[in-house]
Amino acid sequence: MSSSAAPASRALGLAPARRRVWRWQRHAVHATGASLLFLALLPVLWLVQMSFRPNANILGAGLAFTPTLENYRALAAGGFPASFLHSLLASAGSTFLSLLIGVPAAYALARFPFRSGGQIAMWILVTRMAPPIAFTIPFFLAFTWLGLMDTVSGLVIIYLTFNLAMVIWTMKSFFAAVPRSLEEAAWIDGAGIWQSFLRVTLPLSAPGLAATGILCFIMSWNDFFFALILTRTNAMTAPVAIVNFMQYAGWEWGKIAAAGVVVLLPVLVFTFFVRSYLVRGLMAGGVKE
Amino acid sequence: MTAAAWSIEQRRAFTLGLAPALVVLAAVTLGPAIYLLVTSLTPLTPVTPGSGLDFSTPLANYTQALFESSFLHSVGLQLELSAITVGLQTLVGLGLALLLNIESRFMEAIRTGFLVPMVLPPIVVAIIWKILYTPGISPLYATLNFFGIPVGSLITDPATALPAIAVADSWEWFPFTLLMVLAALQMMPKEPLEAARIDGAGPFQMFWYVKLPFIRPALTIAVLFRLIDSIKAFPLIYVLTNGGPGLATEVTNYYAFIQTFNFAYWGYGSAIATLMIAGVFLLSLLVARLGGTSAADE
Repeated sequence: MSSSAAPASRALGLAPARRRVWRWQRHAVHATGASLLFLALLPVLWLVQMSFRPNANILGAGLAFTPTLENYRALAAGGFPASFLHSLLASAGSTFLSLLIGVPAAYALARFPFRSGGQIAMWILVTRMAPPIAFTIPFFLAFTWLGLMDTVSGLVIIYLTFNLAMVIWTMKSFFAAVPRSLEEAAWIDGAGIWQSFLRVTLPLSAPGLAATGILCFIMSWNDFFFALILTRTNAMTAPVAIVNFMQYAGWEWGKIAAAGVVVLLPVLVFTFFVRSYLVRGLMAGGVKE
Repeated sequence: MTAAAWSIEQRRAFTLGLAPALVVLAAVTLGPAIYLLVTSLTPLTPVTPGSGLDFSTPLANYTQALFESSFLHSVGLQLELSAITVGLQTLVGLGLALLLNIESRFMEAIRTGFLVPMVLPPIVVAIIWKILYTPGISPLYATLNFFGIPVGSLITDPATALPAIAVADSWEWFPFTLLMVLAALQMMPKEPLEAARIDGAGPFQMFWYVKLPFIRPALTIAVLFRLIDSIKAFPLIYVLTNGGPGLATEVTNYYAFIQTFNFAYWGYGSAIATLMIAGVFLLSLLVARLGGTSAADE
């Protein structure tokens, strides 16, 4: 870090004293950043320590306790693993389906000047912005009628409402970044449009595809509202199961904390891989790339 | 193959690629939207058979909403919540971005760390703040007590419940503004900054006249996104206050949820949801205009 600062200050013609101030400032900013981050993450760390606290001492505020896995064991023994599995299936299923349907559409929009391209873009943006309650009312009625209530398939379908729009929007910008000349070369060699897409464009966009898939997975995994309304017991997802721990008279704080940690862990791991794409994904539809 | 034939082939192939997505998107978004609009014109409730086909007073739900004090109250609360939370997270995000705007490996790691609150499952955020706001278990209350500042339970007091939710929501989302502004600041050319420094501009002048004009587009988009999303805040309210105490945190989204799923007023709930979509649509038009996505320039 100091190595990059030195040439910069030399280029600006700064005196050595100025350079020293510069370096000191950097250290100060780094220290400030680290402490502010610690402060911002303190609530999360508190949840983590609580999950390792023995139940007898769960309400204590001090940090003097022997860590235990009893909360996690209690979690594994109950119905929570099943809910975790439902979350996993619904998120993975919806991610797969949105990529399967959305990726070709994104490529088509990136490469062909459809006359209604602008309207489609606006449609996607409104889908991203629409309040979930607006979707739940019709879906609740339709699912009851179709027998999709309280099923993982039902969740897969409703997660398409946000995932599909996200896939089309983000993949479109990834495809637009691949030079057309590569495809044109493949076309001259006799490849069809979708052949050249599969052999040339898609492999070149693999990192973008992975990032988009992970974003879809995280968004579905994080859903609480849809699962709360559209599932009961057979397809209950992990976030809804956590809330159910809160319904009992004696709040099982240890179990709640442990379940929270289990649910947030996959998200943290995935986020690390897509950190540079994350903001772009969340902005899907709002900014023209 | 001739050029004309190739062009027809291209159109055919691309249309084929786009069609399935449009069909599915229409089925899961446009269809439900139309259905919502239709049910909003009926007094639909599962209690009364046939109520879903009763179009005798199509606008009854909308006129009821306009004169229903609890609905108007919820809109007021919504405005209050949005104003506090968007204001707070914009200030915090912008301030931190200005403070942490240094390009180095170390700062990149820090930035990744700041992603955590906004990617956490919202239900986990809700649990975390439930713990922080529950006296007897909260380290926050323990610390305040230790320093001799006893505070009552914030989420059971009607006067503080909504601001308490706004604080939790701001914690979850300030990283969004932070990252947006940081990204904009780092794309800023160095010359104007150097020029202003040489001209003797102070830190405030530097911000107001040089940096702010440059980051304004990114900041505006971030604010609009957060504004729209603040209308949808749900898990925090569900877990922390359940709309209470009394009606103190029953914002419009929550009001629609309760009317629909607790009282089974499907038609009325649909009308409220339709009004919400209309509001969101208007805000989205603004985003599209400012962000460059519009029907005109495609």
